[in-house]
Amino acid sequence: MQKEIRMKKKVLFFLLILLIAVSVVMVGCKKEKAPKVVVEEWEIPFLNSLTGVIASIGEYLQWGAERAAFEINEAGGIAGKPVKVIGVDTALEPQKGVVEMSKIVDWALVALGPVPEPVIMAAAPIAVENEMMTMTATTSLEYAEQFFPWSISWFPATKDRLPPLARVWAEDYGVKEVVQFVGTYGPWPGMAAAHVEGLKAAGATHLGDIEFGQDVVTFGPLVVKALDMKPDGIIIAGWPDKAAKIVQELKSRGWTDMEKILLFSSADDAALYTTGGADLNGTIIYNYINVDQDTPRWNAFKEAYQKDHNGLQPPSLSTNYYDAVYMIKRAIEETGVTGDPKKLKEERKLIAEAMLNMKNFEGLLFNWDMSDGVPTNKPGYLFQIQDGRKKLVKEIRG
Amino acid sequence: MSLATYYFLTITAVYILMSWGLYLPYRVAHLHFLTVANMLISGYLSGYMVQTLEVPFAVALLAGFAAGGIIGYIVSLFIGDAPTFTVVIVGFTFIYISRTAVENIKAVGATMGMFGLPAVSGSPVMHRWTILILLYVLVVVVGFLIYRFEHSRLGRAASAVFVDKDLATSMGVDIKRLGRLLQTFSSLVAGGCGVIYGFIYRSFHLDFFTFHLVGIFMTVIFVGGYATMWGTVLAAPALYGLSLILPPAVASWRIVIYGTILIAVLVLKPEGFITRRLAYKLETALSRRRRR
Repeated sequence: MQKEIRMKKKVLFFLLILLIAVSVVMVGCKKEKAPKVVVEEWEIPFLNSLTGVIASIGEYLQWGAERAAFEINEAGGIAGKPVKVIGVDTALEPQKGVVEMSKIVDWALVALGPVPEPVIMAAAPIAVENEMMTMTATTSLEYAEQFFPWSISWFPATKDRLPPLARVWAEDYGVKEVVQFVGTYGPWPGMAAAHVEGLKAAGATHLGDIEFGQDVVTFGPLVVKALDMKPDGIIIAGWPDKAAKIVQELKSRGWTDMEKILLFSSADDAALYTTGGADLNGTIIYNYINVDQDTPRWNAFKEAYQKDHNGLQPPSLSTNYYDAVYMIKRAIEETGVTGDPKKLKEERKLIAEAMLNMKNFEGLLFNWDMSDGVPTNKPGYLFQIQDGRKKLVKEIRG
Repeated sequence: MSLATYYFLTITAVYILMSWGLYLPYRVAHLHFLTVANMLISGYLSGYMVQTLEVPFAVALLAGFAAGGIIGYIVSLFIGDAPTFTVVIVGFTFIYISRTAVENIKAVGATMGMFGLPAVSGSPVMHRWTILILLYVLVVVVGFLIYRFEHSRLGRAASAVFVDKDLATSMGVDIKRLGRLLQTFSSLVAGGCGVIYGFIYRSFHLDFFTFHLVGIFMTVIFVGGYATMWGTVLAAPALYGLSLILPPAVASWRIVIYGTILIAVLVLKPEGFITRRLAYKLETALSRRRRR
């Protein structure tokens, strides 16, 4: 009997020890309680050019950001609270951009924009001084890096990302001697120089650049000058409508090898297709999104975009601020940011730090890693234009 | 002072100074758009001096004034008494030339622009106060000089030239000399403004100096009143402020609103809001009160 009691005691003691051990493990493993979000709604200001000469671009950048907010809200918001993208128009004016940015740094955790380069240069230093991340997702690394660590770049360095695209084009289409048309704006001359590196790698000869400004209306004389160099390939790095006009001039002067014309990514905008029409058929264009991809998320985006834009395909930059909003969502949720105005400074820092080295970010079209503010593994694509649509020719990585 | 207020005040001061820069030559019927090119040239020159040559800001600012004045003087030797249209063409051409030159000069950042200009005095806060004080001292000094000009024989001579050049010549006014003086002074002021304008943003980009600026300054002058210097003082903050306070839903109609205001003013009050008669009345009333 006593033996039985002793046995029971042992079992009870063992169970007690087990219970304590399990409790200790449970407590140890218990997820730290997430800080309470204090905002009723996450407000993200977007310094955009909604009016003025690039209003059409500003519209679809805004559309992309708002589409992301819509999807996020449908799925429960950011850390359980809805998100709202507030469009702040700078009208392409630095004078307006600085005042708007000055107001934003008083309250925002993070900002989208500014757009484009002149406004970035005037307004982004205000974000830097106030230690607030400002996501300049449409400009090149060469601009964005001036504001690190309070900005991130959406693109790898121009010298890394463009040469492979130009090289593959030259090799695949047997281009040997190239003349390049270069629009004199912001980073474009630098991009043109990177094309030349790619041509060299392909063993092609760069015969020369023909520069043109935004004020050029007729391209006849410039095209004659280019053809006089006897090229077998042309690269066009300039404004979309002007790129289309150059192609038309080339055709009207007897150019037939359309695939030996390469258009750069910034020309990939509605104005290219509306101006160029069927004259663009056969030309090659490079860009960083593949519109022919078939994933549910992309298809939903594309369908919604086409519904709101009379059936037009989403332009290449339309996904940038969509992804930017998702990146903000991930940064907030991973860092436990609360939106408490009293913690504004420290929470801004948390968001910035999370973004600078975010790994395996699930973008709309592909996943990528950030390394000290620079994306490391984004692909580029070559497309052939046919009847106003782009058909994928090749995906190119580094 | 909030950052937004700082930017509003500084950019308003630049608008006032630059609009005066257009207003003065317009007193002899010259639309002197060369001033925008002066802004650009002096701005980039000072940026290069400060950033690359590590010259103190004060020296670079003086160099900016000097560059504006010298260019303005040289050009005025040829167009000091030219017809309005010729002066306009020369101004536009200079904007093109200077933009193209900068696009091709790598030392000043070419098409990329110049980043990260240093603060002119220590901390960012001190930088802002320095720029703000500098600008408003400049507004007071330039305003005083223009005021003295308006109330001098030269000012009356300019009014005569505006109405009828031949008549003014017959009265002994040296039209070319007067035109040269006004153009040079305007270019000098614009040169200094260009330097400060870039240091407000602490960067330079070619698109800071576009034809859009010409439009802004013209609107300021013609809405405020092209016959006195005071119209500019009223219209510059009003028009710039309007663009900032419009609610988003209306903001996209901003250009329409500006256009309507400009047309309405030109039709209903062709001399602008502050006419010479109104300015005279106010000055008389103020001097009477002072005497009492």
